Amino acid sequence: MYKTATFLGVVLALGITPSYSVGQQPSSPQALSPNATAQSPSDASAESESTPKTRSDSLGENHDRKWHVKLGTISVGASYSRISGPFYYPYGFYPYDDFRRTWLWDPYWASSVLYPPGYFGYNDGRGEVKLALEPKTVESKLVEVYVDNAYAGTADHLKSIWLQPGAYELSVSSKDHASFHRRIYVLSGRSLKIVAKLNPLKTAEAKEARP
Amino acid sequence: MTKRKWLAVGFACVASFAFAAPKGTVARSTALKYPSHAEQDGVAVGAVLLTSHEAGTNFVSDLSRCCLVVELALYPQKGQSIDVSLNDFSLRVIGTDNVAKAASAKVIAATLQKKATSSRDVVVSPSVGIGYESGTVYDPTTGQARRASGVYTQSGVGVGVGYPGDQGGSTDADRKVMEVELEEKGLPEGPAAAAVAGYLYFPLSRKKNARHALEYMLNGSKVVLPLAQ
Repeated sequence: MYKTATFLGVVLALGITPSYSVGQQPSSPQALSPNATAQSPSDASAESESTPKTRSDSLGENHDRKWHVKLGTISVGASYSRISGPFYYPYGFYPYDDFRRTWLWDPYWASSVLYPPGYFGYNDGRGEVKLALEPKTVESKLVEVYVDNAYAGTADHLKSIWLQPGAYELSVSSKDHASFHRRIYVLSGRSLKIVAKLNPLKTAEAKEARP
Repeated sequence: MTKRKWLAVGFACVASFAFAAPKGTVARSTALKYPSHAEQDGVAVGAVLLTSHEAGTNFVSDLSRCCLVVELALYPQKGQSIDVSLNDFSLRVIGTDNVAKAASAKVIAATLQKKATSSRDVVVSPSVGIGYESGTVYDPTTGQARRASGVYTQSGVGVGVGYPGDQGGSTDADRKVMEVELEEKGLPEGPAAAAVAGYLYFPLSRKKNARHALEYMLNGSKVVLPLAQ
Protein backbone atom coordinates (compact mmCIF):
# COMPACT_ATOMS: atom_id res chain seq x y z
CA MET A 1 0.00 0.00 0.00
CA TYR A 2 1.35 3.27 -0.88
CA LYS A 3 0.30 6.48 0.45
CA THR A 4 1.48 9.98 0.07
CA ALA A 5 0.07 12.70 2.06
CA THR A 6 0.66 16.33 2.08
CA PHE A 7 -0.15 18.07 5.17
CA LEU A 8 -0.72 21.67 5.81
CA GLY A 9 -1.58 22.83 9.22
CA VAL A 10 -1.98 25.92 11.17
CA VAL A 11 -2.16 25.84 14.87
CA LEU A 12 -3.05 28.62 17.12
CA ALA A 13 -2.16 27.62 20.56
CA LEU A 14 -3.08 29.73 23.48
CA GLY A 15 -1.70 28.69 26.78
CA ILE A 16 -3.88 30.43 29.25
CA THR A 17 -2.14 30.65 32.52
CA PRO A 18 -3.64 33.09 34.81
CA SER A 19 -1.44 35.53 36.27
CA TYR A 20 -1.35 33.15 38.76
CA SER A 21 -1.11 34.84 41.17
CA VAL A 22 -2.18 34.79 43.11
CA GLY A 23 -0.02 34.05 41.22
CA GLN A 24 2.30 36.54 40.99
CA GLN A 25 1.89 38.91 38.82
CA PRO A 26 2.88 41.54 36.74
CA SER A 27 3.31 44.61 38.48
CA SER A 28 5.85 44.60 41.02
CA PRO A 29 7.70 42.05 42.74
CA GLN A 30 9.27 43.20 45.72
CA ALA A 31 12.84 43.74 45.55
CA LEU A 32 14.75 43.04 48.59
CA SER A 33 18.20 44.24 48.32
CA PRO A 34 20.51 42.26 50.50
CA ASN A 35 21.76 45.45 51.98
CA ALA A 36 18.51 47.22 52.14
CA THR A 37 16.38 47.07 55.15
CA ALA A 38 13.25 46.40 53.28
CA GLN A 39 11.36 46.54 50.14
CA SER A 40 9.28 49.35 49.08
CA PRO A 41 5.95 48.85 47.46
CA SER A 42 6.44 51.93 45.44
CA ASP A 43 9.73 50.53 44.52
CA ALA A 44 8.31 47.34 43.45
CA SER A 45 8.80 47.73 39.82
CA ALA A 46 7.52 44.57 38.42
CA GLU A 47 10.80 43.02 37.97
CA SER A 48 10.10 39.58 39.15
CA GLU A 49 7.18 37.37 39.09
CA SER A 50 6.70 33.99 40.43
CA THR A 51 4.62 31.74 38.37
CA PRO A 52 3.57 28.59 39.90
CA LYS A 53 3.32 26.40 36.97
CA THR A 54 -0.22 25.54 37.50
CA ARG A 55 -1.63 28.63 38.83
CA SER A 56 -4.94 29.69 37.64
CA ASP A 57 -6.18 30.58 40.92
CA SER A 58 -5.95 34.25 40.22
CA LEU A 59 -8.89 35.48 42.14
CA GLY A 60 -8.19 33.67 45.29
CA GLU A 61 -11.80 33.59 46.14
CA ASN A 62 -12.16 29.86 46.60
CA HIS A 63 -9.78 29.39 49.38
CA ASP A 64 -10.99 26.03 50.47
CA ARG A 65 -11.33 24.29 47.18
CA LYS A 66 -9.29 21.19 46.68
CA TRP A 67 -9.45 21.17 42.91
CA HIS A 68 -8.21 23.96 40.75
CA VAL A 69 -9.75 23.81 37.33
CA LYS A 70 -7.97 25.78 34.72
CA LEU A 71 -8.27 26.24 31.04
CA GLY A 72 -5.26 24.83 29.32
CA THR A 73 -4.21 25.06 25.73
CA ILE A 74 -6.79 25.85 23.11
CA SER A 75 -5.86 24.35 19.76
CA VAL A 76 -7.42 25.53 16.54
CA GLY A 77 -6.17 24.19 13.23
CA ALA A 78 -6.74 23.64 9.56
CA SER A 79 -5.32 20.88 7.46
CA TYR A 80 -5.16 19.55 3.95
CA SER A 81 -3.98 16.10 3.06
CA ARG A 82 -3.84 14.11 -0.13
CA ILE A 83 -3.86 10.36 -0.34
CA SER A 84 -3.05 8.18 -3.29
CA GLY A 85 -4.24 4.61 -3.12
CA PRO A 86 -4.67 1.82 -3.04
CA PHE A 87 -6.81 2.41 -0.02
CA TYR A 88 -9.90 0.32 0.21
CA TYR A 89 -12.58 2.45 1.47
CA PRO A 90 -14.73 2.29 3.47
CA TYR A 91 -12.45 -0.03 5.45
CA GLY A 92 -9.43 2.14 5.18
CA PHE A 93 -8.92 5.29 7.05
CA TYR A 94 -10.27 7.62 4.45
CA PRO A 95 -11.19 10.31 5.07
CA TYR A 96 -11.09 10.50 8.83
CA ASP A 97 -8.41 8.22 10.11
CA ASP A 98 -5.60 9.86 8.30
CA PHE A 99 -6.47 13.14 9.77
CA ARG A 100 -6.94 11.68 13.15
CA ARG A 101 -3.55 10.10 13.03
CA THR A 102 -1.83 13.37 12.40
CA TRP A 103 -0.47 15.03 15.42
CA LEU A 104 -2.12 18.35 14.99
CA TRP A 105 -5.53 17.73 16.36
CA ASP A 106 -5.09 15.34 19.12
CA PRO A 107 -6.12 17.11 22.26
CA TYR A 108 -3.91 14.83 24.26
CA TRP A 109 -1.01 15.81 22.16
CA ALA A 110 -1.78 19.40 22.88
CA SER A 111 -1.91 18.85 26.57
CA SER A 112 1.23 16.82 26.69
CA VAL A 113 3.38 18.96 24.47
CA LEU A 114 2.27 22.46 25.19
CA TYR A 115 2.48 22.23 28.93
CA PRO A 116 5.79 22.72 30.60
CA PRO A 117 7.77 19.60 31.27
CA GLY A 118 6.93 18.23 34.65
CA TYR A 119 3.63 20.04 34.70
CA PHE A 120 1.89 17.09 36.22
CA GLY A 121 4.93 15.30 37.34
CA TYR A 122 7.29 15.36 40.23
CA ASN A 123 9.77 18.15 40.10
CA ASP A 124 12.68 16.72 41.94
CA GLY A 125 11.91 19.02 44.83
CA ARG A 126 13.46 22.06 43.23
CA GLY A 127 12.20 25.38 42.00
CA GLU A 128 13.14 27.29 38.91
CA VAL A 129 14.49 30.82 38.65
CA LYS A 130 14.17 32.26 35.18
CA LEU A 131 16.64 35.03 34.74
CA ALA A 132 16.26 37.73 32.11
CA LEU A 133 18.38 40.80 31.56
CA GLU A 134 17.29 44.29 30.88
CA PRO A 135 18.18 45.98 28.65
CA LYS A 136 18.31 43.05 26.31
CA THR A 137 21.25 44.56 24.52
CA VAL A 138 23.50 43.62 27.42
CA GLU A 139 25.83 40.86 26.34
CA SER A 140 24.84 37.97 28.57
CA LYS A 141 28.22 36.28 28.15
CA LEU A 142 29.79 39.10 30.07
CA VAL A 143 27.22 39.16 32.83
CA GLU A 144 28.16 37.30 35.99
CA VAL A 145 25.59 35.71 38.24
CA TYR A 146 26.14 35.12 41.95
CA VAL A 147 23.91 33.15 44.27
CA ASP A 148 24.52 33.83 47.95
CA ASN A 149 27.68 35.65 46.93
CA ALA A 150 29.06 32.56 45.24
CA TYR A 151 29.84 32.72 41.54
CA ALA A 152 27.31 30.67 39.62
CA GLY A 153 28.30 31.40 36.03
CA THR A 154 27.52 33.77 33.24
CA ALA A 155 23.99 34.80 32.39
CA ASP A 156 24.02 33.18 28.96
CA HIS A 157 24.22 29.79 30.66
CA LEU A 158 21.89 30.64 33.49
CA LYS A 159 18.66 31.66 31.89
CA SER A 160 17.09 28.98 33.98
CA ILE A 161 18.44 28.09 37.40
CA TRP A 162 17.08 25.20 39.45
CA LEU A 163 17.52 25.60 43.16
CA GLN A 164 16.49 23.76 46.28
CA PRO A 165 13.72 25.52 48.20
CA GLY A 166 15.19 28.38 50.17
CA ALA A 167 15.87 32.08 50.40
CA TYR A 168 18.81 33.27 48.37
CA GLU A 169 20.65 36.46 47.59
CA LEU A 170 20.84 36.81 43.84
CA SER A 171 23.36 39.21 42.37
CA VAL A 172 23.88 39.99 38.73
CA SER A 173 26.78 42.13 37.65
CA SER A 174 28.40 43.24 34.49
CA LYS A 175 31.52 45.18 33.75
CA ASP A 176 29.96 48.46 32.79
CA HIS A 177 26.71 48.19 34.65
CA ALA A 178 25.48 48.63 38.16
CA SER A 179 25.00 45.37 39.98
CA PHE A 180 21.53 44.02 40.49
CA HIS A 181 20.71 42.50 43.85
CA ARG A 182 17.61 40.76 44.97
CA ARG A 183 16.54 38.45 47.74
CA ILE A 184 14.62 35.61 46.19
CA TYR A 185 12.50 32.86 47.64
CA VAL A 186 12.40 29.54 45.82
CA LEU A 187 9.65 26.98 46.31
CA SER A 188 9.64 23.50 44.90
CA GLY A 189 7.78 23.13 41.65
CA ARG A 190 7.39 26.84 41.22
CA SER A 191 8.90 29.13 38.68
CA LEU A 192 10.15 32.56 39.59
CA LYS A 193 10.88 35.08 36.90
CA ILE A 194 13.50 37.68 37.64
CA VAL A 195 14.26 40.55 35.33
CA ALA A 196 17.63 41.96 36.26
CA LYS A 197 17.83 45.61 35.38
CA LEU A 198 21.39 46.56 34.68
CA ASN A 199 21.94 50.28 34.46
CA PRO A 200 25.05 51.48 32.66
CA LEU A 201 27.76 52.90 34.89
CA LYS A 202 30.97 54.71 34.48
CA THR A 203 33.92 52.34 34.56
CA ALA A 204 35.16 53.29 38.02
CA GLU A 205 31.74 52.90 39.54
CA ALA A 206 31.21 49.59 37.81
CA LYS A 207 34.39 48.14 39.33
CA GLU A 208 33.26 49.15 42.78
CA ALA A 209 29.83 47.75 42.29
CA ARG A 210 30.94 44.21 41.49
CA PRO A 211 30.59 41.75 44.32
CA MET B 1 33.29 26.47 79.02
CA THR B 2 36.63 27.04 77.42
CA LYS B 3 37.78 30.32 76.01
CA ARG B 4 37.47 28.91 72.52
CA LYS B 5 33.86 27.99 73.07
CA TRP B 6 33.07 31.44 74.38
CA LEU B 7 34.66 32.91 71.29
CA ALA B 8 32.59 30.65 69.07
CA VAL B 9 29.37 31.66 70.81
CA GLY B 10 30.32 35.33 70.58
CA PHE B 11 31.06 34.98 66.90
CA ALA B 12 27.74 33.25 66.31
CA CYS B 13 25.90 36.10 68.03
CA VAL B 14 27.73 38.75 66.04
CA ALA B 15 27.18 36.83 62.81
CA SER B 16 23.47 36.45 63.48
CA PHE B 17 23.18 40.22 63.82
CA ALA B 18 25.44 40.98 60.90
CA PHE B 19 23.66 38.64 58.52
CA ALA B 20 20.16 39.15 59.83
CA ALA B 21 17.72 39.34 56.98
CA PRO B 22 15.99 42.64 56.39
CA LYS B 23 12.54 42.94 57.91
CA GLY B 24 9.47 44.73 56.74
CA THR B 25 9.16 47.09 53.83
CA VAL B 26 10.23 50.64 53.25
CA ALA B 27 7.69 53.06 54.65
CA ARG B 28 6.41 55.66 52.24
CA SER B 29 7.43 59.24 52.94
CA THR B 30 4.32 59.96 55.00
CA ALA B 31 1.17 58.18 56.10
CA LEU B 32 -0.74 60.37 53.67
CA LYS B 33 0.79 58.41 50.82
CA TYR B 34 -1.34 55.43 51.79
CA PRO B 35 -4.93 55.24 50.61
CA SER B 36 -6.08 54.85 54.22
CA HIS B 37 -4.48 56.87 56.98
CA ALA B 38 -5.15 58.27 60.40
CA GLU B 39 -3.34 59.83 63.32
CA GLN B 40 -3.75 59.34 67.03
CA ASP B 41 -1.62 60.25 70.03
CA GLY B 42 1.07 61.54 67.72
CA VAL B 43 1.30 58.29 65.79
CA ALA B 44 0.39 58.37 62.12
CA VAL B 45 -0.86 55.16 60.54
CA GLY B 46 -1.07 54.39 56.85
CA ALA B 47 -2.46 51.21 55.34
CA VAL B 48 -3.55 49.59 52.13
CA LEU B 49 -5.24 46.27 51.47
CA LEU B 50 -3.45 44.35 48.75
CA THR B 51 -5.43 42.92 45.88
CA SER B 52 -4.96 39.28 44.92
CA HIS B 53 -2.88 40.44 42.04
CA GLU B 54 -0.63 42.57 44.20
CA ALA B 55 -0.25 39.79 46.73
CA GLY B 56 0.75 37.48 43.93
CA THR B 57 3.26 39.95 42.62
CA ASN B 58 4.84 40.77 45.92
CA PHE B 59 5.04 37.28 47.34
CA VAL B 60 6.20 33.96 46.07
CA SER B 61 4.00 32.33 48.67
CA ASP B 62 0.49 31.87 47.40
CA LEU B 63 -1.20 34.12 49.92
CA SER B 64 -4.45 34.58 48.10
CA ARG B 65 -5.32 31.02 49.06
CA CYS B 66 -5.44 31.70 52.72
CA CYS B 67 -5.58 35.27 53.74
CA LEU B 68 -5.82 38.96 53.15
CA VAL B 69 -2.68 41.04 53.20
CA VAL B 70 -2.46 44.60 54.48
CA GLU B 71 0.56 46.78 54.01
CA LEU B 72 0.91 48.99 57.03
CA ALA B 73 3.22 51.77 58.12
CA LEU B 74 3.50 53.45 61.52
CA TYR B 75 5.06 56.88 62.00
CA PRO B 76 5.78 57.73 65.63
CA GLN B 77 6.47 61.34 66.48
CA LYS B 78 10.06 62.44 66.87
CA GLY B 79 11.41 61.37 70.21
CA GLN B 80 8.50 59.02 70.77
CA SER B 81 8.71 55.26 70.75
CA ILE B 82 5.89 52.82 70.24
CA ASP B 83 5.70 49.12 70.88
CA VAL B 84 4.55 47.28 67.79
CA SER B 85 2.76 44.00 68.32
CA LEU B 86 0.70 41.87 65.96
CA ASN B 87 -1.83 41.42 68.75
CA ASP B 88 -2.86 45.04 68.36
CA PHE B 89 -4.12 44.60 64.82
CA SER B 90 -7.31 43.06 63.59
CA LEU B 91 -9.25 43.19 60.37
CA ARG B 92 -13.00 43.45 60.30
CA VAL B 93 -15.35 42.80 57.41
CA ILE B 94 -17.54 45.88 57.59
CA GLY B 95 -21.16 45.13 58.33
CA THR B 96 -20.46 41.66 59.69
CA ASP B 97 -19.09 40.06 62.83
CA ASN B 98 -16.25 38.64 60.84
CA VAL B 99 -13.04 39.78 62.40
CA ALA B 100 -9.58 38.27 62.47
CA LYS B 101 -6.38 39.09 64.30
CA ALA B 102 -3.15 39.36 62.41
CA ALA B 103 -1.57 35.94 62.13
CA SER B 104 2.08 35.12 62.45
CA ALA B 105 4.22 34.05 59.53
CA LYS B 106 4.51 30.59 61.04
CA VAL B 107 0.76 30.05 61.11
CA ILE B 108 0.24 31.37 57.60
CA ALA B 109 3.05 29.24 56.20
CA ALA B 110 1.60 26.13 57.82
CA THR B 111 -1.82 26.94 56.39
CA LEU B 112 -0.41 27.43 52.92
CA GLN B 113 1.44 24.16 53.11
CA LYS B 114 -1.69 22.33 54.16
CA LYS B 115 -3.70 23.82 51.32
CA ALA B 116 -1.00 23.04 48.80
CA THR B 117 -0.84 19.45 49.97
CA SER B 118 -4.53 18.85 49.61
CA SER B 119 -5.21 20.58 46.33
CA ARG B 120 -4.58 19.47 42.80
CA ASP B 121 -5.00 20.87 39.35
CA VAL B 122 -7.38 19.84 36.65
CA VAL B 123 -6.52 21.21 33.26
CA VAL B 124 -9.04 21.24 30.43
CA SER B 125 -7.67 21.62 26.92
CA PRO B 126 -10.21 21.94 24.13
CA SER B 127 -9.22 21.55 20.50
CA VAL B 128 -11.09 22.01 17.25
CA GLY B 129 -10.04 21.54 13.67
CA ILE B 130 -11.23 21.55 10.12
CA GLY B 131 -9.57 19.90 7.17
CA TYR B 132 -9.93 18.92 3.57
CA GLU B 133 -8.65 15.65 2.22
CA SER B 134 -8.56 14.25 -1.27
CA GLY B 135 -7.07 11.21 -2.93
CA THR B 136 -7.55 8.07 -4.92
CA VAL B 137 -9.40 5.21 -3.34
CA TYR B 138 -10.28 1.74 -4.54
CA ASP B 139 -13.70 0.33 -4.14
CA PRO B 140 -13.26 -3.04 -2.41
CA THR B 141 -16.11 -4.68 -4.31
CA THR B 142 -15.42 -3.49 -7.84
CA GLY B 143 -11.70 -2.79 -7.50
CA GLN B 144 -12.12 0.39 -9.42
CA ALA B 145 -10.14 3.44 -8.50
CA ARG B 146 -11.81 6.76 -8.18
CA ARG B 147 -11.10 10.20 -6.85
CA ALA B 148 -12.70 11.15 -3.60
CA SER B 149 -12.51 14.13 -1.37
CA GLY B 150 -14.20 15.60 1.65
CA VAL B 151 -14.19 18.17 4.34
CA TYR B 152 -13.97 17.00 7.88
CA THR B 153 -14.10 18.57 11.26
CA GLN B 154 -12.81 17.42 14.57
CA SER B 155 -13.16 18.48 18.12
CA GLY B 156 -11.88 17.14 21.36
CA VAL B 157 -11.25 17.91 24.95
CA GLY B 158 -8.23 16.79 26.87
CA VAL B 159 -8.45 16.65 30.63
CA GLY B 160 -5.38 16.39 32.77
CA VAL B 161 -5.47 15.75 36.48
CA GLY B 162 -2.44 16.60 38.52
CA TYR B 163 -1.07 14.94 41.59
CA PRO B 164 -2.01 16.33 44.99
CA GLY B 165 0.54 18.90 45.97
CA ASP B 166 1.98 19.21 42.50
CA GLN B 167 1.67 22.96 42.59
CA GLY B 168 4.61 23.38 44.85
CA GLY B 169 4.64 24.77 48.32
CA SER B 170 3.68 21.45 49.86
CA THR B 171 6.92 20.22 51.36
CA ASP B 172 8.41 21.04 54.74
CA ALA B 173 11.23 22.87 53.01
CA ASP B 174 8.66 24.99 51.19
CA ARG B 175 6.92 25.79 54.43
CA LYS B 176 10.17 27.03 55.90
CA VAL B 177 10.83 29.19 52.88
CA MET B 178 7.34 30.65 53.02
CA GLU B 179 7.78 31.32 56.69
CA VAL B 180 11.04 33.13 56.04
CA GLU B 181 9.51 35.20 53.28
CA LEU B 182 6.45 36.17 55.30
CA GLU B 183 8.55 36.90 58.35
CA GLU B 184 11.00 39.05 56.47
CA LYS B 185 8.32 41.04 54.72
CA GLY B 186 6.04 41.24 57.72
CA LEU B 187 5.65 44.22 60.00
CA PRO B 188 8.57 44.19 62.43
CA GLU B 189 7.46 43.76 66.03
CA GLY B 190 9.04 45.46 69.01
CA PRO B 191 9.84 49.03 69.99
CA ALA B 192 10.00 51.52 67.11
CA ALA B 193 11.27 55.07 67.38
CA ALA B 194 11.17 55.71 63.64
CA ALA B 195 8.79 54.84 60.84
CA VAL B 196 8.27 51.10 60.36
CA ALA B 197 6.34 49.33 57.66
CA GLY B 198 5.54 45.80 56.64
CA TYR B 199 2.78 43.39 55.80
CA LEU B 200 0.10 42.00 58.06
CA TYR B 201 -1.59 38.69 57.24
CA PHE B 202 -5.18 38.09 58.20
CA PRO B 203 -6.76 34.64 57.83
CA LEU B 204 -9.90 35.87 56.09
CA SER B 205 -11.17 34.86 52.70
CA ARG B 206 -11.64 37.45 50.02
CA LYS B 207 -15.25 38.11 49.19
CA LYS B 208 -16.55 40.10 46.33
CA ASN B 209 -17.74 43.58 47.26
CA ALA B 210 -16.76 43.07 50.88
CA ARG B 211 -15.29 46.13 52.56
CA HIS B 212 -12.75 45.87 55.34
CA ALA B 213 -11.57 48.01 58.19
CA LEU B 214 -8.28 47.71 60.01
CA GLU B 215 -8.47 48.12 63.77
CA TYR B 216 -5.38 49.11 65.69
CA MET B 217 -5.23 49.28 69.46
CA LEU B 218 -2.95 52.18 70.28
CA ASN B 219 -2.40 53.12 73.90
CA GLY B 220 -5.67 51.52 74.89
CA SER B 221 -7.81 53.25 72.31
CA LYS B 222 -8.89 51.89 68.97
CA VAL B 223 -7.89 53.41 65.63
CA VAL B 224 -10.17 52.29 62.80
CA LEU B 225 -8.99 52.55 59.24
CA PRO B 226 -11.49 51.71 56.51
CA LEU B 227 -9.43 50.08 53.79
CA ALA B 228 -9.64 50.71 50.10
CA GLN B 229 -8.11 48.27 47.67
